[in-house]
Amino acid sequence: MLDFLKRIFNDNSSRKQANDRLRVVLTHDRTGASTQLMETLKEEILQVISRHVEIEGKPDVRIIREGRRSALDINIPLKGR
Amino acid sequence: MGKNKEKGKVIVVTSGKGGVGKTTTVANISSALARMGHKIVVMDLDIGLKKLDLILGLENRIIYDIVQVIEGECTLKQAMVKDKRFPHLYMLPAAQTRNKDDIKPEQVKVICEQLRPEFDYIIIDCPAGIEQGFRNAIAAADSAIVVTNPEVSAVRDADRIIGMLESAEFKDIKLVVNRLQASMVKSGDMLSIDDLLEHLCIDLLGIVPEDRKVLISTNKGEPIVLNGNSAAGTAFNNIARRMNGEELDFPTFEDDSFWSKLRNLGRNLFPNK
Ligand SMILES: Nc1ncnc2c1ncn2[C@@H]1O[C@H](COP(=O)(O)OP(=O)(O)OP(=O)(O)O)[C@@H](O)[C@H]1O
Ligand SMILES: [Mg+2]
Repeated sequence: MLDFLKRIFNDNSSRKQANDRLRVVLTHDRTGASTQLMETLKEEILQVISRHVEIEGKPDVRIIREGRRSALDINIPLKGR
Repeated sequence: MGKNKEKGKVIVVTSGKGGVGKTTTVANISSALARMGHKIVVMDLDIGLKKLDLILGLENRIIYDIVQVIEGECTLKQAMVKDKRFPHLYMLPAAQTRNKDDIKPEQVKVICEQLRPEFDYIIIDCPAGIEQGFRNAIAAADSAIVVTNPEVSAVRDADRIIGMLESAEFKDIKLVVNRLQASMVKSGDMLSIDDLLEHLCIDLLGIVPEDRKVLISTNKGEPIVLNGNSAAGTAFNNIARRMNGEELDFPTFEDDSFWSKLRNLGRNLFPNK
């Protein structure tokens, strides 16, 4: 039964795939930021931060969309004292 | 011009990707606006690959074209073809044996300035692409209509075009979604209107369904808005009414209820039912 419900609500439709792919591709088109560039950015930002404070957990650096504009969203958890 | 002395508006219909329905949109919103009593001129800037004359059924009436106007071989008036089905619909034809680089944005601006005092709307059929033809088509326009299809590659190109229009300082950019198939959206196999608006973030002007009658009307050279009982004709007519300031609701196709999901599941599990 649980499996049955999961199959109803687990959206694996081609429409969802189209939306997911568009989100990525439009962000890249608009900013000119490739996956490679994002990796480099993340690495270098982390290097700078960790020079001054200790990082803990999973840092996240990504581009988010706000309307037709894009922003760099940086989330870096720091180690408490 | 009509009663008021306001100058005509120049509107460009564009898309980036080819074949999404720009020319069909131009032909039909122009016919619909002309039928409402507006003075309309359609300008075909798809030089070298003209189609608007065929879709409007005016191909046999062309004598001169826009390149000849620009090169001084004829006057602007001589080149304009009148559509006899409407009181005030004219077409300025593209040249078929020339190409996009044979005219310049400045020259399009000059022609539009000559037309503005005489017409309510100057509607420009833009070629596909982002090169010279696109630059010519947007040069004189006050506002833009971006046509797209609910399909990833058309949306990507639409996004590029919207970005270029914004860089060119366009403030009024509206979206027409063409060839929507509500049943495919419902079964999860087509991008919905909400999906497109989420990606493109511009105002919606119209939703035109996929309709076989579009091809039939193209065969005959009759705008589909003249066909009172076609879904696409109604949709194009509604676009014209919105351009005219009417506030019309958009049809809602989406059905995200539990029961529709259950129904879809049934359909997916037993596809031959
Ligand atoms: N709503 C619709 N339903 C079914 N067919 C359609 C619809 N809209 C357009 N078409 C068909 O799609 C094809 C392309 O349309 P159209 O020529 O208007 O596109 P376009 O964007 O102007 O193309 P181009 O970039 O080559 O100028 C035509 O064959 C037309 O009949
Ligand atoms: Mg066309």
